[in-house]
Amino acid sequence: MLADRESAQLTLKMNAREFFINPTDYGLPTRDELVAYRIWDNHFHGFASAKPIEQYERNNFFVERMGIERSIAQEVGGTLERPFAPYPFDAEILKILERDKDRLSGRTPIDPGYPEESCAKIEKWIRNGPCIGIKYLGSAINGITCSHPNNDPIMRLAAELDVHVYVHTWLKVGGTPRRPGGDNGPSESTPMDLAKLAQRFPQVPLICGHSGGDWELGVRAIRPYRNLLLEFAGSDPHSGMVEYAIRELGVERLVWGGHGPSRSYATEIGKVLDADISKADRMKIFGGNLRRICASIFRKKGMRIAL
Amino acid sequence: MKPIHRRSFLKSSLLSAAAVSLPNQPPMATQNAARSASVAASSQAPGIIDTNVNLFSWPFRALKYGATKALVAKLKKHRVIEAWAGSFEALLAKDMSGVNSRLAAECREHARGFLIPFGSVNLAWPDWEEDVRRCHEVHQMPGIRIYPGYQPFDLDHPGMQRLVRMTAERGLILQVVFGMEDPRVHHPMISVGPVTFAPLLRAVESTPNANVELLHFSGSVRGEDSNRFTAQTNVFLDISRLEGNGAVARLTGSIQGLPSARLPLERIVFGSHAPYFPVETAILKLIESPLDAQQLQAIMQGNARRLLPRA
Repeated sequence: MLADRESAQLTLKMNAREFFINPTDYGLPTRDELVAYRIWDNHFHGFASAKPIEQYERNNFFVERMGIERSIAQEVGGTLERPFAPYPFDAEILKILERDKDRLSGRTPIDPGYPEESCAKIEKWIRNGPCIGIKYLGSAINGITCSHPNNDPIMRLAAELDVHVYVHTWLKVGGTPRRPGGDNGPSESTPMDLAKLAQRFPQVPLICGHSGGDWELGVRAIRPYRNLLLEFAGSDPHSGMVEYAIRELGVERLVWGGHGPSRSYATEIGKVLDADISKADRMKIFGGNLRRICASIFRKKGMRIAL
Repeated sequence: MKPIHRRSFLKSSLLSAAAVSLPNQPPMATQNAARSASVAASSQAPGIIDTNVNLFSWPFRALKYGATKALVAKLKKHRVIEAWAGSFEALLAKDMSGVNSRLAAECREHARGFLIPFGSVNLAWPDWEEDVRRCHEVHQMPGIRIYPGYQPFDLDHPGMQRLVRMTAERGLILQVVFGMEDPRVHHPMISVGPVTFAPLLRAVESTPNANVELLHFSGSVRGEDSNRFTAQTNVFLDISRLEGNGAVARLTGSIQGLPSARLPLERIVFGSHAPYFPVETAILKLIESPLDAQQLQAIMQGNARRLLPRA
């Protein structure tokens, strides 16, 4: 049974569409204008919680308030910590995916340390289930990153199903001597790892999560590989970052994510609004590019989406 | 300061939803009238006092709005009416007197009365007390901004208590910067130490009349320190580092049921961390959070104006 919407909602006295300042007065888009951007949130952690249903329902206030058209949940079928273990909330999440199918989709997390289990999960949750993409987690400890040969059967299956693959990437500075990526976890992929994978599987659309953490270096690492898109989500907002990425990659290769509720939609939307670009280009980043690489799987699932 | 009347504030608001039950909320008829008047009343929308910007060059990247003229234009575009400016030069420089002189001159030249210079002292350098004196007496700055971590000291430095006392005696605001960027993306050549919160608490508690503001502070404080920070100090906090959907409303307690530290509304001020962060981000946080007119007015300018009254 789905969680009671009333009890799961926030305790507040304001409607989600009620504002006491006019964004236009502050050089910002109104909610209607945000809606017109057709924002697809590539990076949604609504179910990443000990109380996933409650958190999801509560976060809907902000989805509504900020005019998000569709959210792609990063953890459908298991969790990022235990992607293959039975998850007691799977059934409820499936019901929510059906109930909210007009605004919610999901990726299923896999771990290339276990390629057979990963492929089985893709069969269950994508070919025979509701998910529309594959999520590589970054928290495993087996030392297998996305550049390892273990990934090849996973990529072949992704190509067969014509689905995109999201890879968590970071470049955490550290180690001895200090270097970008030197403080990454044992299985945490770098943008350079992902570039190697993209080179082997040019037919699979891949998303470089978190802009590689360090966006200036992440962009450089993925630049040569046209099947690699860069995601703005889950890192600090730096003025100028989107324009830099457009200059080096082209606007067609950028996607936007909210990373809520642990990050603010405000933080992530601000990155794109900072860029002096056309409305058409903003629409590509906010959702158009993601819809393009998702079109095939939505079509296969009988869901019609306007590109 | 010209007071902002509730009615004129609401006239400039975007009201698009059903009835609400905010305290002192005008009736729905007023809201409907306000909706139709939203464009005409735009000029009455309250301006923003941005308590956290920096001038000059960020040492590791050319920033989009790094030039002062461009930054001022950008801030004004977003209805910022006053910006408290530190200097990126203060992070690494040894000649703090030169840093502060250039900052004062830059503010005067580009936007007198709009850019308010906050000079810096480095407790690790000798005779920093003279820099406090010059900031106050020579440059007539209203406050001091320190960058522990980049400046090679932590808040347990023996000079910290004296700095808090000196600024209080001179009626200066002391801004303490808790970070400039995510340490995970620091340039490998630098090693910026963490900034520990507890020693600042001790210094502030022993100087109750100190005016202290935390800049780019996450709001994440451990239990006992959090209680002391909230109940036993009058320290202000800018919103530039708050993260999570509805973070500002969580901090004020407007939202129940989501985890957050709490701070009285009258101690929360606007800060953008521009030009490193987009100024849009901080303003969007105010829009994202369900805040009513009084709360917005307090955060956007009222609390900062109380901290630094217009001369």
